[in-house]
Amino acid sequence: MVHYVRFLLLGFLLLPLPALAGGKVYVYNWTEYLPEAVLNQFTEETGIEVVYSNYDSNETMYARLKLVQKDGYDVVFPSTYFVNKMGREGLLQPLDRELLPNLAGLDPQLLDKPYDPGNRYSLPYMWGSTGIGVNTAVIPAGEVTAWEDLWQPRYERQLLLQDDMREVFHMALKIKGYSSNSREPAEIEAAFNLLKKLMPNVLLFNSDSPRLPFLAGEVNLGMIWNGEVWMARQENPDIDYVYPREGANLWVDSFVIPTTARNRENAHAFINFMLRPDVARLCVEENGYATAVLAALPLLAEEVRSSPIIFPPAETIAAGEFQSDVGEALPIYQKFWEQLRTGN
Amino acid sequence: MKSSGRTERLVTVLVSLWLVLFGVVPLLLLVATSFFAQDPIDFFRLAPSLESYRQLLDPGYLQVMRRSVQFAALTTLLCLLIGYPFAWYTSRLSRPARVLVLVLLMIPFWTNSLVRTYAIRMVLGSQGLLNQALLALGIIDSPLRLLYTDTAVVLGLFYLMLPFMILPLYACLEKLDYRLVEAARDLGAGFLQTLLRIVWPLSLPGVYAGCIMVFVPTMGLFYVATLLGGARQLLVGNLIQQQFLNARNWPLGSATSVVLILMMALMLTGYWLVLRRLAGRRRQ
Repeated sequence: MVHYVRFLLLGFLLLPLPALAGGKVYVYNWTEYLPEAVLNQFTEETGIEVVYSNYDSNETMYARLKLVQKDGYDVVFPSTYFVNKMGREGLLQPLDRELLPNLAGLDPQLLDKPYDPGNRYSLPYMWGSTGIGVNTAVIPAGEVTAWEDLWQPRYERQLLLQDDMREVFHMALKIKGYSSNSREPAEIEAAFNLLKKLMPNVLLFNSDSPRLPFLAGEVNLGMIWNGEVWMARQENPDIDYVYPREGANLWVDSFVIPTTARNRENAHAFINFMLRPDVARLCVEENGYATAVLAALPLLAEEVRSSPIIFPPAETIAAGEFQSDVGEALPIYQKFWEQLRTGN
Repeated sequence: MKSSGRTERLVTVLVSLWLVLFGVVPLLLLVATSFFAQDPIDFFRLAPSLESYRQLLDPGYLQVMRRSVQFAALTTLLCLLIGYPFAWYTSRLSRPARVLVLVLLMIPFWTNSLVRTYAIRMVLGSQGLLNQALLALGIIDSPLRLLYTDTAVVLGLFYLMLPFMILPLYACLEKLDYRLVEAARDLGAGFLQTLLRIVWPLSLPGVYAGCIMVFVPTMGLFYVATLLGGARQLLVGNLIQQQFLNARNWPLGSATSVVLILMMALMLTGYWLVLRRLAGRRRQ
């Protein structure tokens, strides 16, 4: 009997300890998308400890959230088309506006979008674009101006592509003159056939920190996010950003609170802090993406505010296309994406 | 006496419990999942289906399998070619020297293999150590493209897996009765004849064990293909990782894992048969 009790005790020891909630907020974000100084400042001001982890694609983040049944992440940063999908599937909890007074400073143009009418579940964090990165020390400026140029045979085994299905299909759909949110199987297949011809030019797929292969001299041309070029230029000013003629891929990433969050109030406190103009300013200056907090713009240094890399001119935005959900067409993309990657 | 028997029983129970909980149960879940249907929202639907296994027969997946087997086979061969002489000479060293060599072999294992893979990147990169050295020596004029090639993948796999080949070979060769080699020499056998007719046959159990220990894990090392190969073409490990993490197709990921496990089981059976045959031959 005594042994049996001992055995039971041992069993209990093996159970996970209950999470020590209260002073923590679990933040799950894209790699290099939030300055560490901002996290430290938040902890200093509020006493709430930030447990920070990263992902490199919406798909990974989504799969992780689906696995967690309770006590999960408190704040996550999905892109538009995932906000919509996750909201529909009941993975997100409605935001409490009472706890978010700073949302008054947000850009109205980025609010109440079709992917989240009335901003029930999400508030915009940053927006940016996917265009072409060029190391002008190797490839003369002006040689590459369009997505189409990446298909030139002279770039054999030289390109960096994002390891992101929707982003890669965006290029081909735009060249073909289709919407990059196409749900037409025939259009997606045409894009796939075009992408197959691009594969001999691809050297690597990376969407962790696409600027690193540029800085290491491994690649001189490829798809990249504008903010990554902004960051790369601090180390190597030869690296430049091109808005492709066919249109860049534009995206918005938003704050959301999953239903499985364990610190609902801390999550709101964190989002509210991030919406403060002085904090938003730090994020723009460090990561090189445009903030959704309008009130932060006057605070920015002149060279940041006037940088076309971060704030493209209106006609460039008009030429680009914002990502949105492709609904039931997703498995079609998935199938072609796999075929592309398995060497067919 | 009684208490030691009790301890023994307790340990047995704990170990069995551990194995059942973390070995058998997950394996059964995996096998079960592979026979369910895919679901776009949840990870799988509780409906019996052979769809995942049918999908594995698609030419794309077959090609991934073939590529993976090729990579693993090449890695195993390289490990054997380098590992065999290494193990042989180590087993012939004096005792302290032997210990030193084995410790040196094991030290890199104190570092996570992912970190070591990143280290290889720093050596092979365009501005990496190897290119810098070759440029400085005037052997090449412009950096060689080494990183993000198939060669880099095989090199990385070879580096990570080599000790798994050497250790079983060493264990086997160390026990080899050296008088047999001396007898062969006395009877006029040359180096090659001694190797092929005496040492090699006696070391076969080690060779098989080493090959299995290299071949099987190599199929699953997905991050090597990603980090050193540029994720351009997938290996079977990448496929499993992608099905679970990105495509959210758990049945297909499970089915792929089950196929890998079956391959491993087949190889282990082969190993067991060889051992039995060798033992039988010795008894005669």
